[in-house]
Amino acid sequence: MANVIIYPTNSLILSDLVKRFGHTPLAMMEKIKEKISTVGVDSPPLNITAEEPKLGLKYAAVEVPAGVRGRMSMIGPMVERSEAGIIVGESPMAFGCMGCARTNELTKYLIRTRDMPVLELAFPKTDEEGQEFVYRIAEFLRSLPQQEEGKE
Amino acid sequence: MKDEAVAKVALVSCGSEYAGVHGELESVASSVNAKLVYPEIEVDILDDIGKDFGIEAASPDLRLMMARATAVVEGITDVDGVFITSCFRCAEAAIVRNEVRSYINKHSTLPVISYSFTERTTAATLLTRMEALTTIARRRHLLAREKQSGLTAGIDSGSTTTKAVIMKDNQILGSGWVPTIKVIDSATEALNSALEEAGLKKEDIQAMGTTGYGRFLVGEHFNANLIQEEITVNSKGAVYLADKQQGSATVIDIGGMDNKAISVEDGIPGMFTMGGICAGASGRFLDMTAKRLGVDITELGDLAVKGMEQNVSMNSYCIVFGIQSLVNSLAKGSTPEDVAAAACHSVVEQIFEQQLQEVDVKEPLILVGGSSLIEGVPKALGELLKIDVLVPPNSHLIGAVGSALLASGFLEE
Amino acid sequence: MAQENKDIITKLVVTSSDSVLPIDAAMRIYESSTEIVIKETCFGTMVTGPSDAVDKVVNEVVSLDKNHIFVKERGFPPGDDRRCRASRGGGSRPGFYFLKEEAMMLPIIGKALDEYERDTPLRKREEKKKLEIKDIQDIIESSL
Repeated sequence: MANVIIYPTNSLILSDLVKRFGHTPLAMMEKIKEKISTVGVDSPPLNITAEEPKLGLKYAAVEVPAGVRGRMSMIGPMVERSEAGIIVGESPMAFGCMGCARTNELTKYLIRTRDMPVLELAFPKTDEEGQEFVYRIAEFLRSLPQQEEGKE
Repeated sequence: MKDEAVAKVALVSCGSEYAGVHGELESVASSVNAKLVYPEIEVDILDDIGKDFGIEAASPDLRLMMARATAVVEGITDVDGVFITSCFRCAEAAIVRNEVRSYINKHSTLPVISYSFTERTTAATLLTRMEALTTIARRRHLLAREKQSGLTAGIDSGSTTTKAVIMKDNQILGSGWVPTIKVIDSATEALNSALEEAGLKKEDIQAMGTTGYGRFLVGEHFNANLIQEEITVNSKGAVYLADKQQGSATVIDIGGMDNKAISVEDGIPGMFTMGGICAGASGRFLDMTAKRLGVDITELGDLAVKGMEQNVSMNSYCIVFGIQSLVNSLAKGSTPEDVAAAACHSVVEQIFEQQLQEVDVKEPLILVGGSSLIEGVPKALGELLKIDVLVPPNSHLIGAVGSALLASGFLEE
Repeated sequence: MAQENKDIITKLVVTSSDSVLPIDAAMRIYESSTEIVIKETCFGTMVTGPSDAVDKVVNEVVSLDKNHIFVKERGFPPGDDRRCRASRGGGSRPGFYFLKEEAMMLPIIGKALDEYERDTPLRKREEKKKLEIKDIQDIIESSL
């Protein structure tokens, strides 16, 4: 079982497919859950405080906007835990966690430059594209180690 | 102001939830009895918003900003004001933020503020801005007042100086202008000297208004009828003193600690910005220049109009490095006149670069605040913008006059 | 991992099935456990509760039509004050729009999963290739 980072990091389809084929999706949802369940922090809505952009300095310099660094403080550690990645090309509707193009560029860069298998494809628009989309993801996920390893 | 209805402020933002400032925004809104709302949009408009609005921004959240702005303008979401904000240093967001701001301003009468934040932006930084936004929303009828009536006082407790005026039947009877040392003591001193000049006693005052940094403290001390931030008060005071109450105007207020650029329509602010990042753009810089040149601040202006700013190289935003440049120039033999002119030019250049980009500059351009009395400043501003700069009489008293004018509204209530 | 801790989780179950209607899925969840809370939304059913119970019931529902029922975890529990539009002053939460777009893609994905399961060979797609200069020339000449 491998930790597979997905991009868009909040995708229903990717999160489902990774899990369906026996791996662990690393997705934004669990990070958000972790944040909002932090006891003693009250910074609605996501419990992100001024500390997060500072933690994000590990991934982006201080001249990078605070919103990028705040997001990177959540995405960066996920990339560091990942053993494989699936990147699906830009979705125009990905707001919120995926709402910043600059963060998205940096996220994809970190995934691509990590020494691990990475699959890149585009969201399907037709049945034919859908078939290829699912087949390629399925084969990619099957090629990853199925054994328990790399647990944090 | 707890008895007033909750003002609904549309938050049109990108990045605030992830930059750690969202809580600050919510907190400042609730401190002025406002509630942030997120304009409801039709999902379908998101498909084409880039082309419909005109900016095909790469960031989806910026397209969401455009969609939300459209919803506000079209009245799909009913709000009292709009707060537009995005990350500082994001070029893409700066383009969208500016266009969204001017779009709302052009297509609605809603007051708009635009602000770029860092993770260090706090509720305190945003207070005056948010207070102004809700004041405009709530007190439109009060701000529409064009004449002072009865006998009222206004106190502007600024960061550097405290101003007071006594007005009666639309005339200024007396004024006081003292350096701010202890907020209440200085306000009392300024008020007493205004009363003395008017030949009146404190008991004669029928209503009072306060503004400026010390407005809450001074207002409570004197039990003022009106305690209001300086953006709405000063723009009112400026158009009143300049006799430009109807139509468009732009007010630039160079204060001791920060500057305001306000776009005014019929005496009511539409968009505004407040500077405060670098002291190099404030009256304090001129004060320090005067000290370094060994002249009184009141003489600096005369000196500056005789000088040529081009003769001195000044390219610093920072008050410390700015003064260093001036010292270097003097050491190299520059004349005090040229140095004074360079200092005035430096201040207006910084205001131009940092603030005037954020409001639509429409004539007349009214320059107010203590710095407007330094002749070199309006001259430099006029040269830079290539338009005539209007400095109204008593331009340093606008805050106090605005307060006295607006306070007279309480006499009729 | 989620299965190992006993904390409360929320999963979103999105149905894109001809044989199982969202209401069937919801009913199945209602019947199966008392430990969990469910909320039906425009695009699916949110299931909140201890992770073991949520996983168990979600697996049961998915098994009704496994290639056409999709699941993702959700950060916020349903109706959380910080995200709920009722308390937040209108406007959907940002993730909603993307979810809607993905939900519209689910029939394509479901069909492909069926085909993958049946070992249906991958249909050859015609690759779109750039027009050769010669082709453009022909088009220009033919339209003159």
